[in-house]
Amino acid sequence: MSGVQETKAGVPALSVESVSRWYGNVVAVNDVSFDLGPGITGLLGPNGAGKSTILHMLAGLLRPSRGTAKVLGESAWHNPGIYRLIGFVPEREAVYPFLSGFDFVRASARLHGLPDVEAAALKALAEVELTDVKDRPSGGYSKGMKQRLKVAAAIVHEPRILLLDEPFNGADPRQRLRMMDSLRRMAAAGATVVYSSHILEEVERLAEDVLVIIAGRLAASGDFHAIRKLMTDRPYSVNVRSNDDRGLAAALIGQAPVFGVEVMDGALTVRTSDLMAFAETVPKVARAAGVTLFELSPTDESLESVFAYLVQR
Amino acid sequence: MSGFIFMLTLRQLLLQKSTLLLALLALLPLVIALIFRLSESDQDPENWTAEVLLGGLVVTIVVPLTALLLGASVIGDELEDGTAVYLLTKPLPRWQVLLPKVAAALLLAVALAVPSTVLSGLLAIEGRGGAIVTGFAVAVLLGSLAYVAVFVLLSLLSNHALIIGLIYVFLWEGALAGIFEGLRFLSIRHFSLGIAEWIAGTEPETFDAYLGGETALTAVLVTAFLALLWANRRLEQIEVREAS
Repeated sequence: MSGVQETKAGVPALSVESVSRWYGNVVAVNDVSFDLGPGITGLLGPNGAGKSTILHMLAGLLRPSRGTAKVLGESAWHNPGIYRLIGFVPEREAVYPFLSGFDFVRASARLHGLPDVEAAALKALAEVELTDVKDRPSGGYSKGMKQRLKVAAAIVHEPRILLLDEPFNGADPRQRLRMMDSLRRMAAAGATVVYSSHILEEVERLAEDVLVIIAGRLAASGDFHAIRKLMTDRPYSVNVRSNDDRGLAAALIGQAPVFGVEVMDGALTVRTSDLMAFAETVPKVARAAGVTLFELSPTDESLESVFAYLVQR
Repeated sequence: MSGFIFMLTLRQLLLQKSTLLLALLALLPLVIALIFRLSESDQDPENWTAEVLLGGLVVTIVVPLTALLLGASVIGDELEDGTAVYLLTKPLPRWQVLLPKVAAALLLAVALAVPSTVLSGLLAIEGRGGAIVTGFAVAVLLGSLAYVAVFVLLSLLSNHALIIGLIYVFLWEGALAGIFEGLRFLSIRHFSLGIAEWIAGTEPETFDAYLGGETALTAVLVTAFLALLWANRRLEQIEVREAS
């Protein structure tokens, strides 16, 4: 077993160096490199992008086909010692259904060899606000409760690094907020928290830094707001319905956020670089031109299209 | 920690529906022995018990099937349903996960098969022939160890451990090893029979196992040891990915 030390000055908590991973002929992760330190980092990308594979390699559960995934400078693969420092929350909701929530977290504490198993389990359950239902069999928990239970089991040994694979799946908005608060508290205490999500808003609300993974590659990384700006500055298409589409099209040409209008088959499509500015401009322009506006609907707003735009850049 | 994994695994196994089927399977030799007793057959009870009941039914079907269902599920099911992650992401050497799981499967296999062997044997031989029953009880115990170890290994090597296990039990051991004598050196069933005959000390006309006792005992222990060694190696290298 490894002797991973508790502190190593200057060594990133998590380090991925030129990592690739393929399954047969399918490349899941392609030459990805990054270092992560304390704080909350979101791994953002569409389903099947390779986020889960990266997390599993960081958790020592998958061997990189090429490159290395390191925890505090030590290879994560084939190194059970890293689990003293890591908590891993898998995406699958499977728990031992016959164990109560308390027993499940207590089991995790016991397998970590903690000195006071009961106290550690109670503390972790309180952190995810499951104390009230701790004695109920976990098989009867809702999906959101199971997610929080898995988090409790993963943080029972107070790890310095927490890896979570799609932790908000199945959680209702209230449960989501609770879990976000828990993760913020851990990060504030100096932990490195990394979680994956395919939902932009989940990353926007929680992550300080973001890694955008698309088709197995690292498409963008850094401060969330810079990446969000990249995303929001891209061209948008908006369908506009009014009582005079041609008149409105003529009035919109020349307005700052508009760089293209098209009237086809009686439908007006406007291209803009700034969706928010356009939304503020168009009612004013319509009023000035005496046009009644019925509907504004952005087209092609899927996350995949945002990702596709980022890849092109 | 190992004790905890052992108890957790035992609980999992006892809650499995297939364990109920295995309990019924363990009752089968008792029912057959009872029918034999009531039928007042002309066959020599010791010969019938050794050849048909214990050598035929128990060692050939009850023991391998029990070990297969328990051994293949004890880690294989956890890898399949995703709960294995909770054990594998702990700072434990993998043998501390493997051995308690093997021990739990073995305990349950033995708890089902050995009483079935002893009670059905005594019933069929009318309380006599204690050596035969003792011989087969020890053979079932050691055979279960080798089978469980091999089937745990199989579940770590393949997602189709049950099918491959059934092919091994019925095709390899049941048919091919009967035709080609050399294959008996790769048959846990024949190791078990060798041990049973060795301990029972029966005359060839009562029961003949074809494999010498010392050879059979060595083979069964070496098989179990190598299977566990390989299984541990495999568990150390096993990859867990999110099911797609």
